[in-house]
Parts: sequence; C-alpha cells; structure tokens
Amino acid sequence: MAAITYKNASCIYEGSDKLAVDSLNLDIEDGEFVVLVGPSGSGKSTALRMLAGLEDIDEGAIEIGGKDMTGVPSKDRDIAMVFQNYALYPNKTVAENMGFALKLRGVSAAERRKKVEEAATVLDLTEHLDRKPAKLSGGQRQRVAMGRAIVREPQVFCMDEPLSNLDAKLRVQTRTQIAALQRRLGTTTVYVTHDQVEAMTMGDRVAVLRFGKLQQFASPNELYDRPANAFVAGFIGSPAMNLVTLPVTADGVKIGDSTLELERDNLTKISDAGLSEVTFGVRPEQLELTESGGVEVVVDLVEDLGSEAYVYTHAGSGVDLVARCNPRRAPKLAETVRLHRHAEGAVHLFHPKTGERLN
Amino acid sequence: MTLTVDTESDANQEAVAERVRKIREAQDTGVSRAEGWRRRGPLLPALIFMIAVTQVPFLFTLYYSTLSWNLVRPGSRQFVGLNNYVAVVKDSQFWSVAGNTVILIVGVVLISALLGLLIALLLDRAFLGRGIVRTLLITPFLITPVAGALIWKTTILDPTNGILNWVLSLVGLGPVDWIGDFPLAMVMVELIWQWTPFMMLLILAGLTSMPRDQLEAGRVDGAGALQLFRELTLPHLRRFIELGVVLGAVYLVNTFDAIFMMTQGGPGVASANLPFYIYQRAFLGFDMGQAAAMGVVVVIFTMIIASFALRLIFKSFSGKEEAA
Amino acid sequence: MSTPKVVDKTARTTATSDAAPVRKKKSKKFSPWSVVAWIVGLGFFFPVLWMVLTAFKQESDAATSPPTLFFTPTLNQFKAVFDQGIGPAMLNSVFATGMSTILVLLLGVPAAFALSLRPVRKTSDALFFFMSTKMLPVVAAILPLYVIVSNIGLLDNIWALVVLYTSMNLPIAIWMMRSFFLEVPGELLEAASLDGASLWRSVREVILPLVSPGIAATALICVIFAWNEFFLAVNLTAVNAQTMPVYLVGFIAGEGQYWAVLSAAATMAALPVILCGWFAQNKLVRGLSFGAIK
Repeated sequence: MAAITYKNASCIYEGSDKLAVDSLNLDIEDGEFVVLVGPSGSGKSTALRMLAGLEDIDEGAIEIGGKDMTGVPSKDRDIAMVFQNYALYPNKTVAENMGFALKLRGVSAAERRKKVEEAATVLDLTEHLDRKPAKLSGGQRQRVAMGRAIVREPQVFCMDEPLSNLDAKLRVQTRTQIAALQRRLGTTTVYVTHDQVEAMTMGDRVAVLRFGKLQQFASPNELYDRPANAFVAGFIGSPAMNLVTLPVTADGVKIGDSTLELERDNLTKISDAGLSEVTFGVRPEQLELTESGGVEVVVDLVEDLGSEAYVYTHAGSGVDLVARCNPRRAPKLAETVRLHRHAEGAVHLFHPKTGERLN
Repeated sequence: MTLTVDTESDANQEAVAERVRKIREAQDTGVSRAEGWRRRGPLLPALIFMIAVTQVPFLFTLYYSTLSWNLVRPGSRQFVGLNNYVAVVKDSQFWSVAGNTVILIVGVVLISALLGLLIALLLDRAFLGRGIVRTLLITPFLITPVAGALIWKTTILDPTNGILNWVLSLVGLGPVDWIGDFPLAMVMVELIWQWTPFMMLLILAGLTSMPRDQLEAGRVDGAGALQLFRELTLPHLRRFIELGVVLGAVYLVNTFDAIFMMTQGGPGVASANLPFYIYQRAFLGFDMGQAAAMGVVVVIFTMIIASFALRLIFKSFSGKEEAA
Repeated sequence: MSTPKVVDKTARTTATSDAAPVRKKKSKKFSPWSVVAWIVGLGFFFPVLWMVLTAFKQESDAATSPPTLFFTPTLNQFKAVFDQGIGPAMLNSVFATGMSTILVLLLGVPAAFALSLRPVRKTSDALFFFMSTKMLPVVAAILPLYVIVSNIGLLDNIWALVVLYTSMNLPIAIWMMRSFFLEVPGELLEAASLDGASLWRSVREVILPLVSPGIAATALICVIFAWNEFFLAVNLTAVNAQTMPVYLVGFIAGEGQYWAVLSAAATMAALPVILCGWFAQNKLVRGLSFGAIK
C-alpha cells in the first residue's frame, strides 16, 4: 500500500510526434481508489501502463511510496494488474495462474496453496481451481484475473477496463464487488475506464483525461456539481448536460425569443470576461416542464425509462435541450411545450472558446 | 483538489511536436543502444551462420566465373575475365535450357496452383472421410522426389509395361513413348503431381480462414455462389495463392531430382533445366569456369524474380504482423 | 469480520459474457462432390500405392502388361534390399536429418524470437536477408562448396551435409517460427513481467508452451526437406556418407530392370517421411500454412 504521485509525467506515442500523456500531475493517497476516465485516445490506459512500467516515462517521473520509478522494471514495482482481456496463462490451471507470482518469489507450495485457496473463496472460484482458462466463462476468467492480483498482496492495483468484456448485467454486479473488495483490502487502486458511470460509482476521486491532458481531478460529487470545463461538464452525467453557446443579454442569455435569467453574480462574471456569448450548461434534471414563462420548445423525442422520462427538444433557433420529466405526464412528439429552470438549479457557465468554467 | 487545464487547440500541435523532439534528444542514447544489442543478440548466431555458409561460397563462384579452369587438367587455371560470360551468352544450348527452365517453372506453378485451388474447394466442405482424403492428397508432397520420379518413370510411364499405356490400350489408343517423345512435359507432369498438394494445403488454409459472416452478408445481399466466390473468396485467397506461387517458384528454380531420374536432361538438352545443365558442365564435363559463369547468370535471373517475390511476401504478410 | 463473498449470480441466468455461439454441425452429406473428392484423392495417391504394392510382388509380377492386380505377396524384395546394404544409408539419412533439424532449432528459435517479440530496428532487413538466401539457387554455390568441402577434407562426410541442410532449412524455419511467436498475445508477456518473471523465465513458462506446437510443425517440415534432399547429397557424398536418396539412385544403376526390388528400395527410402507426415498431419498443415490454420 502506498501513495502514488505523477509528476509532470509524459509519454510519447511510438513512432509519432504526439504525446499520449501530456504532463500529468496526480497526487493519489495511500488506500485511495482513483479512476482514470476519458474517451478513446485520452491517454488513460497509457497513464496506467506508465505506472505499471509497461510504457516508458519519457518526461517527468512517477513515484510510488515516495520512490522514483524511473528505470525500475515492472517486475520490481510490486504492482498487480488486471488486464482488459485478462491475459491469463492458457497452459496453466486457475490455481497455477493465481499462484504464479508467488512461485516466482520462491514462496513454498503449501503457503501458495493456502493463499490461493483464500482468494478463491473470496471470489467463489474454489470449484474451478484445477481448470484451465479455456474452460471458463468470461465472468469466471475475469474473477481469476482479479484473484491473480489479490493473491500477490501488492502495494498497488492497476485495472485496465476489466469490465468492458462482460455483459451489462454482470458488469453492474461485478462493479460493486470490486469496490467492496478494494475497501476491505485497502490497497491503493488505479482504475481505467471509458464508462463514466463506473467512474462515478466506484472512485473515491476521478481524473478526467482528454487528449493526454488532465481536465479535472476531484471527487465524483465535485465533478458533477462543479465541472471545471465544458468537456468535463458534457462528459460526466447521463444523459449529458445541455451545453449551448448563447448570446448574452442584460438580464441573462437568449434562447430563441426568450431570455433565461441569470443571477447577478453570474452576469458580473460574464461581463468581467468581456464576452458577448457564453456557453451555458444546465443538466436535464434541472429543467422542468412548465405552463408559463421559460422557453418555448418543440418536442423531438421522448425516452421513457419507466422511472423517469427524458424529453428531447429544440428551441426555434436550433438550440437543443433535454429535460427530465415524469413519465406519466410526458408530452407528445412535435408538441410545443415550455421549459424553465428549477429555482435551485445550478447553472454552469463556460468560456465559449476555451471552455473554462466562469462561475 | 481541482485542476483546470487548457482544452485542446490546433495551434498547440506544433509546440507539442517540438517538445517531443526535445524529449527524444534528451533520452539516454547509450542505454537504448545497449538494449538494442541485447535484443539483437539471439539473432546473431543464425545470421553469422547463414552468411558464412551461403554468401562465402557465392563469392567464390563469382571468382571462379572469371577463370578458365578444367578440373581434369590440373594447372590449367588462369584468369580470363569475362570470357566465360561471353561464351555462355553465345551458347545456344544455354538459352534453350534457360527457356526450358522458364517453361517448367511457369507451367508447373500455374497448373498446380489451379489444380490446388480446385481441389481445395472440393475439400472445403465436410464429407465422410474428408480427413482420409486429405491424408491421401498430401502424400505426393511427402515422398522423396527421386523415389517419386522413379515410380513415374517405370511403373506409370514405361512404354511397354506402364499403367498409363495399359489404360490407353483399353480404349484402343496405341502405346506412347511418353518420356522419349515428351520429356519436358513428363517431367512437368511429375512435378505438378508433387506440388499440387502444397498449393492445395495453402489455399485450403485460406478458405478455412475466410470469415463466414462476410459470406453470409453476401448471401443476404443476394449474391449467388459464383459471385460470392469471385467477389469475396478469391480476393481473400489471393494472399495465399501468391505465397504458394512464390514459394513454389523459388523451390522449382532448383528442381533437379526429377530430371536426373527421369530423363537425364535428354534427349540432348530437350528436358534439361539450368541446374541440371550446370551440373553436367561441372561434374560431368569438369568445366568449372563455364559452370560458375552460368551459375552467376542464374543467380541474377533469380534475384530479379526474387525481389518481386520478397516484396510480395512482405507486403501481404507483414501487414498484419508488425504489432508486438 | 466476515468477508464479502464475490458470488457469480449469473450462474443461474442464461446470458453469460462470452458463451460461444453454438452452431449446428453440418451433417456429413454424401453428395456427388464428395465422390469427386474421393476419386481425386485416390488418384493422387495411386502412384504411391502402386509403388508399395509392387514392392511386395515377385519380379515376374512386377513389370507386366496388363498390370497384375492379384498376386501372392512376398517379402523377398525387401530382404534383397537389406542384403544389399541399405542399413548404412538409412543411418546416414537419420543422422543428417536429425542433426540438422536440431541445429536449425537451436539457431532458429532465438533468431525468430528476436525478430518477433522484441522488434529490432532492422527486423525487416534481417528477414529479407534470410529469405533471400533461400532464393539463391543451390546450383550457383555447388562448385565452390565442392571445392571447399573437399579441401577441408569433409567430402563424403556426413557432417558436410548436416551443415548444409541446416543452412537450407534455417530461413524457412525462422520465417515459420516467427509467425508462431507473433501469435502470442503481448499482454501475456506483460502479465508475466508484472508477476515478477524475468524475460528468460517468461519465455520458459509462458511462451514456449504456447509455441511448442508451432516449433514441432517447423521441425517436421525441416525433417521432410532434409530427408528428401538429393542434389547436395549426390554431389558431396560417395559411399560412406550416402543418404537414402543417393543409395536409391545407386540401386537403380545395378537393378534397373527389376521393378519389384526397385519399388522395395523406393518404399524404404520414402516411407519414414510419409509416415511422419501422416501422423503429424495437423502440425504439417499448420506449418505449411504458416499458422493460418489452427
């Protein structure tokens, strides 16, 4: 168990002039569960692999437990990794797969057997211990991959999208089990995923990456309530936050023919920045249907999820807005309705060019 | 702690590339060179061995080709420059033999590839005893070439007691002196018999690796069997057919056993190919200089073909591999 | 403190992550095409079959027209072949083939490894070189080879053939084994490395078990080509080191018209490799198709 620090760490794409990871700075505490999330090509897997020693650190450094890992080979870093495709040894049984690292360290066969059986009990693999990976289902293989990592009792767990090959139901189930396991073991964990739902539910803190650069590193709540830029705002939350660039008026922002009013503070911040337009963000659950006032919109699509419904609309000037509503009282297609903001609903304002948060 | 960072903008790319270049310069080149040697290490024994055993003799051949040297007349070695090459070019037999070689290679490769394709198509469907049929089919490839040539020459093609003539006699056609009258053709037939299994196996590998859902998509789109074959299967097989043709051609340049056993190159040099002709010159005529010169010519000729061949192999097969 | 058990609840549901789609096996039909396939197969096999049959005939039954289909088999021909001394030639072939194949593996496996798992900057160049040596016609080198070998005093010595067969098979072997090495997923090596294995250990415990069928296939191909090789053998050996193919040719010189005993000799020359190829058929197919068929 150890703290991890990325200090301006960068990594170059093989054979090109682009940076896969660009000056990443992260301070991860001992025992923390940190999720690296972002779209494809954001560098999250590369950042993880740099930690594990599978990619070179081309610039900067990574420290584990205070020790600089530059030049330290993977086998000496005491890190266990769960791969996306599990990377189980096909010619070894489940027990041998899980015990391999211990065998390499010279642990006695009896001791190995004991540890493997302990892990197998926790992961419900006891009856499969003598089978080879080819005879296991995907979910079972995934658990063997986890077991292989657990048995080692390393100082850090690295997980590279371990759930992406499982079907939806199994994914949800395993998610909670991994989080519970980590809490029990208390090992520092760095977890990579492209699924923001996984990030939000599993992580103590989440680092959002884009094009190799860190966008924001904070707790899930903070990412949700105060995204640092437009990208994070649009990435976290499902359905995504409504983000539209709107012209500014004296009282607020103009949507179509109506004006959505803004608070005094926000208006000041906008004028301080000297902007005539602003990127305005509001989450679907902050918008509601109303009889009067607000903005007039036309309904394009209604998604009824049973517990709630989402109404996809557009305002006259090509501005698209998604709002949440009660499924029993959802409007119909092509209907014209009015939307307004909840009184306490948070508004997010971003610079239209840089995407930086203004308020 | 929240951190805010600039979002991506195009103007940054040049700056990034500049940084990357600086980083690369700063990296310890000494370490990566040592690593490079460590990686190359395991390759060296094989490399050195091959250079010693193949390149050195060839250099000698080049040297010999500039000598007039007859093994039977000791002390007759003397430098004659390019005289041997001139003699070779003027040697009409050499050109006719070269022609034979080309006919042989092209004919055998094309026909066995075609036959291989047809048979592979036959074997692509499951049927009773398919495994046995495949076993039977690969046997000609396994048999020692001299033994196979011997069997063809005696039991099958012999004018009096050979099976082929017996079968023909059943339909009233007269006995044919196959080897006597059609020496080159008969050698080619024997070689086709030997090489078709190889082609077939390669193409069968291609057929088996054909993604089935492509064919299903084609069928749903309304393609008939022939169209499926032409538009989908054949392009996929191209790689395998090319590989078979190239490898077959490379081996066939050197073919010797069948000619030695069946016709001894005759009558005259009607069925000799370049290797056999050179063999005759060197080991039966003991004319080293001339033989060496011919050898060099063959090498040049082969290198031209080989450069196409190698480029082909690399293009079609390395494409999928350069990842690890 | 009770440990939260990680239970696979989906054991009872039907949908699992990667249950392979079960396809109905096509029933083996008896169709006209399968008859054609059988005819073609038997046709190609016929000369070999005839050779083996003839080996069991009396001379009087061997070269006849119409060909004798029913006869009393005899082992006399084989006995005659043995009496004429096929033993040494057999041993020579075994030695040359075996030794050269071992050498090919010793040299080739590391080379293939270097060229595949850790791509060296000059990988393509090295491969190109190896393949190009294969393209070099042997006939161009035979003269100096003859002179060099005789100067070293290795003429009619089986070791000359061992070295030359190794160089003959090495390029193909490297090419094949490289393609098998490339099939090992990179992640397995990474996992082994994280588990604490040195490169040598990972090779031994993870990679070699996975590529061993491929190596066996490569060895089989080498055996076939080495055993059947004639040109180098006939030119560089005389009596002591002659291999089976050379012996066979010498046999013909003496017994040219006696087809039965010739067939017996031919059968004995060809049989070992044929049997090898039959029994290891799948490996052979894998090797020949460079691992495209599993």
